[in-house]
Amino acid sequence: MTKGTRKRLMATGAAFAALMAASSARAETNLTFVWHAGTCADALMDIAKDYPDKDVKIVPALVPYGPQWHDKIASEFAIQGDAFDFAMWDSQSTAEFASHAVKINDIFDKSSYLKADIFPPASLSRYGEYPDGSGEFYGLPANQDAYGLTYRKDLFEDPKEQEAFKAKYGKDLKVPQTYQDAKEVAEFFTRPDQGLYGWAQMGGRDYDFATTASNSFLWSFGGELYNPATFEVKGYLDSPASIDGVQAYVDMFKFGPPGSTNWGFDEVNTAIQQGQVAMAMQWFYFNGSNADPKVSKFADKVGFGVLPGAVGRDGKFRRQFSVGGQGMGINKYSKKLPELTKFMEWYFQPEQQKRYAAVCQTGLKAVLESPDWQNLNSYNKQFSSALAYLNDYWHLPEYPVLLDELQQEISAAAAGTKTVQQALADAAAKNERTLERAGYEIKRGESTPEVPDQTISPVGQDSVVPVE
Amino acid sequence: MSAQSHAQRQAKLRQQSSGRLMIFGFLSPTLAILLFMVAYPIFSLVYYSFFNFSALRQGAMKPIGLRNYEFLLTDELLWERFIFTGKFVFICVVLQMLIGIFVGYQLQKNFRGRDLVFTVLMMPMMLSPVVVGFLWRYMLNSEWGIVNFLLSSIGLSKIDWLGQANAALWAAAAADTWMWTPFIVLLATAAFRGIPETIYEAAEVDGASPAYRFFRITLPMSAPVLFIALILRLIDSFKQYDLFVALTGGGPGSSTETVSFAVAKTAFSYFYTGEASALAVILLVIIIGLSMILVRHLQKMGEKF
Repeated sequence: MTKGTRKRLMATGAAFAALMAASSARAETNLTFVWHAGTCADALMDIAKDYPDKDVKIVPALVPYGPQWHDKIASEFAIQGDAFDFAMWDSQSTAEFASHAVKINDIFDKSSYLKADIFPPASLSRYGEYPDGSGEFYGLPANQDAYGLTYRKDLFEDPKEQEAFKAKYGKDLKVPQTYQDAKEVAEFFTRPDQGLYGWAQMGGRDYDFATTASNSFLWSFGGELYNPATFEVKGYLDSPASIDGVQAYVDMFKFGPPGSTNWGFDEVNTAIQQGQVAMAMQWFYFNGSNADPKVSKFADKVGFGVLPGAVGRDGKFRRQFSVGGQGMGINKYSKKLPELTKFMEWYFQPEQQKRYAAVCQTGLKAVLESPDWQNLNSYNKQFSSALAYLNDYWHLPEYPVLLDELQQEISAAAAGTKTVQQALADAAAKNERTLERAGYEIKRGESTPEVPDQTISPVGQDSVVPVE
Repeated sequence: MSAQSHAQRQAKLRQQSSGRLMIFGFLSPTLAILLFMVAYPIFSLVYYSFFNFSALRQGAMKPIGLRNYEFLLTDELLWERFIFTGKFVFICVVLQMLIGIFVGYQLQKNFRGRDLVFTVLMMPMMLSPVVVGFLWRYMLNSEWGIVNFLLSSIGLSKIDWLGQANAALWAAAAADTWMWTPFIVLLATAAFRGIPETIYEAAEVDGASPAYRFFRITLPMSAPVLFIALILRLIDSFKQYDLFVALTGGGPGSSTETVSFAVAKTAFSYFYTGEASALAVILLVIIIGLSMILVRHLQKMGEKF
């Protein structure tokens, strides 16, 4: 080999090595996230397409809403795998997943933008704090949600209907503020011969369908799932006030389409979109599609409101309903934390979150407090009011077991195979057995309250407080 | 022993041993894979079943002896799952065998378009159980489902198929039967067509009626194949899980949860790994026991025919 050839070869080799190095430096980084498929996951994907760092790609690993979604995240954590880098999980799953998630406080400490104070404290706590009140966060409020009321404006505003309602019940036809009123309105609009029913709600056995709905009644009537201080479930979950609440929930199926006791959100949405029901209890999450004329025949005829409360047996008024939505948590086994932190710093900027808020519910304070946020769509104003009345399941690692046990029993009560009292007593016994097996010490009090909400974080008010 | 016979014996032994070596050599890769893919998981399953252990909530694995088994076998709810599974298996297997044999008998005859009919009939079997579950869930929807639409169009009242425990059992059995009867049809047709035509001709000459020919020739001669179909369907129905996930979610209440559903839930929703392992071992013992009884019966049947 001549000297010149050797030089040329070496130059070619150096150029090739430089090219390889450059190409590896520009290698694409995939940040995979797990969520349930739907409008909000699509919105995230749409926004992520504009992420300035084109070497970072956001890859969805979407599953249907339900147990598969929880199980996919849990299974990956169980093997300490990094098949996904971040995930949106239910607020109540934080306790279960915290030991496998990155503690967000560390990110708050290092990041110049991502700080706790860019989120409303209640939202940050709801979607990421574990244990409750500890100040330790494992998720960011990526997608807030609440149960809401969807109703047929055209029916409520029809003078003939108003007149007929007044003649029958001696009061004005209005969007109900209590479940007692809702029952009358639902009864009034239940006309099977016209294919119209008064009320739609979820009652299905899958995942949390029945219990997110029934809990909203249970809490509003002054019931509780358990006593977090003593871990007593018996006497709380099956207290007279809890039974009143769940009985009111079961009774509402009389004003729903036949077979609605096993409905999930899909069926409730279909009923809304077909104009089959005068009122429906539905997540704000779905209002985007229910208000979209391309999806719903009744898009221009439906209004969105805050769910009613109830006057409990102690004469107090309470309005409490289930929190929905998900926090964004980071898989601590992911090897892409620096890239992910950068993406999150960009994603949680007001510009991106404003785009998200046009279809789903952001958790960013700057957007929630901006004057134009409430007018971005026809339901943000109501959502903003709803945030004040949220309540949640147990924040315990045993959540999936406790949930499944309660689901079984509420579903049985809805189907009529058990009385509400029997179902709640059975659920309480199962829940206590689960807590005992997990090592919780149940400190039994001398007596249990008739209305547990009087002793656990009371929210009762002396009279009905309407929400406009 | 002469030197020659000794040498012959040595050569024979060498030949035999090299033959054995060769057999072992050919079998060993498969055996190694089987050992890794089957024996290791079963060993792990049995091992974990003696521990209080969660794969998700990783803490110390506490050895608890037979307590997982004791808890499960005294749990009334689990016995309810076994009873439901038994009912489901019985209804499905009886329906599938009866319909499958009937349809298979019709399809063994030669007629125009037989192959097309046969192909169309096989289609449900090619679908995933989850797809079948969702398909039937929509068809059985009490308000918008085609089944209730047809019922109401002939003046019958709508049925809440998936909201009532008994109706949900029959709905699940109908979906499983729709999906798996083609499997029985497939095997039954093959078995029926394998019977020599001369036997039927001889019977016909002797004046045997069609019913007599079916019960005295067709059924007995195809019994081993039909019995294998029965065994496979028994085992498969017993393990049914995905259909219920999509169709009923186990509800209403817990009325349509099969034992396999309970195993999957305990393992991957509750993440009670030790308890789920014990339940899987119980299920495995039942299926192996059931299979052994049936296989022994099959062997006797084989000797008979």
